[in-house]
Amino acid sequence: MKLSEDTARIQDILGDYCRTGEGEQIPGIIPGRVNHYRRLVYNVIRSNMDRAFPITLAALGEEEWDQLVQEFFSKGLPQTPQIWKLPYEFYNYHLMKETGIRIQKPYLEDLLYFEWIEIEVHTMPDKPFPEYLSSGNIFMDRLALNPEFEMIRLNYPVHMHPAAAAADMKGDYFVLIFRVPDTGNVKFLNLSGIHTYILARLMEEDLPLKDLKGDIAQTAGIESIKYLDDALEKFIGDLIDKRLILGYLKE
Amino acid sequence: MEGKVGIGLRRDIADEIIDSHILTPDFLEFAPENWMGIGGYWNRIRQKAVDRYPVTCHGLSLSLGSAEELDWKFIGELKNFLDENRVEIFSEHLSYTKSRNAHLYDLLPIPFRKDAVDHVVDRIRQVQDFLERPLAIENVSYYTPVAAEMTEIEFVNEIVERADCKLLLDVNNVYVNAFNHKYDAHAFIDSLPLDRVAYIHMAGHQKVEPDLIIDTHGQPIIDPVYELFEWTIRKMDPVPVLLERDYNFDELEQIQSEILQLKSIIKKQWKVPYEA
Ligand SMILES: [Fe+2]
Repeated sequence: MKLSEDTARIQDILGDYCRTGEGEQIPGIIPGRVNHYRRLVYNVIRSNMDRAFPITLAALGEEEWDQLVQEFFSKGLPQTPQIWKLPYEFYNYHLMKETGIRIQKPYLEDLLYFEWIEIEVHTMPDKPFPEYLSSGNIFMDRLALNPEFEMIRLNYPVHMHPAAAAADMKGDYFVLIFRVPDTGNVKFLNLSGIHTYILARLMEEDLPLKDLKGDIAQTAGIESIKYLDDALEKFIGDLIDKRLILGYLKE
Repeated sequence: MEGKVGIGLRRDIADEIIDSHILTPDFLEFAPENWMGIGGYWNRIRQKAVDRYPVTCHGLSLSLGSAEELDWKFIGELKNFLDENRVEIFSEHLSYTKSRNAHLYDLLPIPFRKDAVDHVVDRIRQVQDFLERPLAIENVSYYTPVAAEMTEIEFVNEIVERADCKLLLDVNNVYVNAFNHKYDAHAFIDSLPLDRVAYIHMAGHQKVEPDLIIDTHGQPIIDPVYELFEWTIRKMDPVPVLLERDYNFDELEQIQSEILQLKSIIKKQWKVPYEA
């Protein structure tokens, strides 16, 4: 490297000053000017985090939110060159630092994660779609799943309730976040335990629903076949309407 | 694209640009970092934009001035992006955006020093060799020199000559720097190797203190910058000209009037034919 140690050190002093507002005197500057760099760099981070995490910002309020962004700004050392991925680093930083416990907002990590996953699902690279038909039999034919989704588990139902209320509802929550074909919009579904089980089986195995029905009935403790069929028909029909299930695989 | 006028593809105006109700740019500039490796809605917008317009790319994150190794993984992905989108010009900033091997997402001023010249020349050459295309390096706005041992013009000229790269001349940045650092903008431009200019940026700015202008890209271009632009392009061959606008998109008609004003100056000075 041809950069001298001295020049590299001076560049780092300015970088550190931007991040923290502190540090030794920077040589050869016009007084009162470097603070603009600190302001401008912070504005970039803050405006991007505000856009990425509107629900968290509203839940914490301006002051506490600003402290979280300032802390990440001064200590986070972001690695992605692509600023739209920075919300993930922000989430991960506060996860590692256990910020939610520290500020007594136990739902914080879940809320940041949920808001990040919405961005990720909206932006992630296109996946190959299966060839499918729009008419078929939901029990006999193999179902064609929309491949553009993420399934996550949360401890607090931040996707269904205001954060303060969710804080008192600790449990196991499964959420499916998916991208609607054509529009590219992101939607999410809160899943019960049995729905999570059915979807996981459909995603993992290339089987028609009829071959999974026995396991589903056993897992759910359902004895009436009629009741099970009606429930499955309703659930799968709803997923077809929402375009999480595209149709029936071409055999 | 010589003598054509473009605008940056920002998400706020993407729909408008695809449908062209009000804005009529000749080409689009992408910040590759904002469009690489994405799918879904924005990827479809990118594809429509590329199908419809010629494209240039203006990078944000190479950090040519800083100490850590160049990010070759990123530069590899960048090369694919430039190829896939048939990008005609790729430019970057004469600045640094990383320190302690982490990103700052803004343009910090490189100390105007001999060792920094050597370092940046090396890095521009490495990037040009890898990308197999020339890099156009932009003169950036700066609000204070840092530990300088030479002047800005000496710094810029030595880098561009020795790296054998192109220059992205940001006319607004020359105006801003001349104001902030009390030098003559015309003399500065006269000292540049204008035959190396491959691309021009024009933008608005904001005076935040009586003796300080910040390069915001959020306001209309002011008349003295148009005048400096007209004076400059008389001295050089036609190149593409980009209107940089990063926010304040409420008044699209006003932005369109800037595009038209640039076109009319170009038509006058470069005799480039424009369809009505
Ligand atoms: Fe520029």
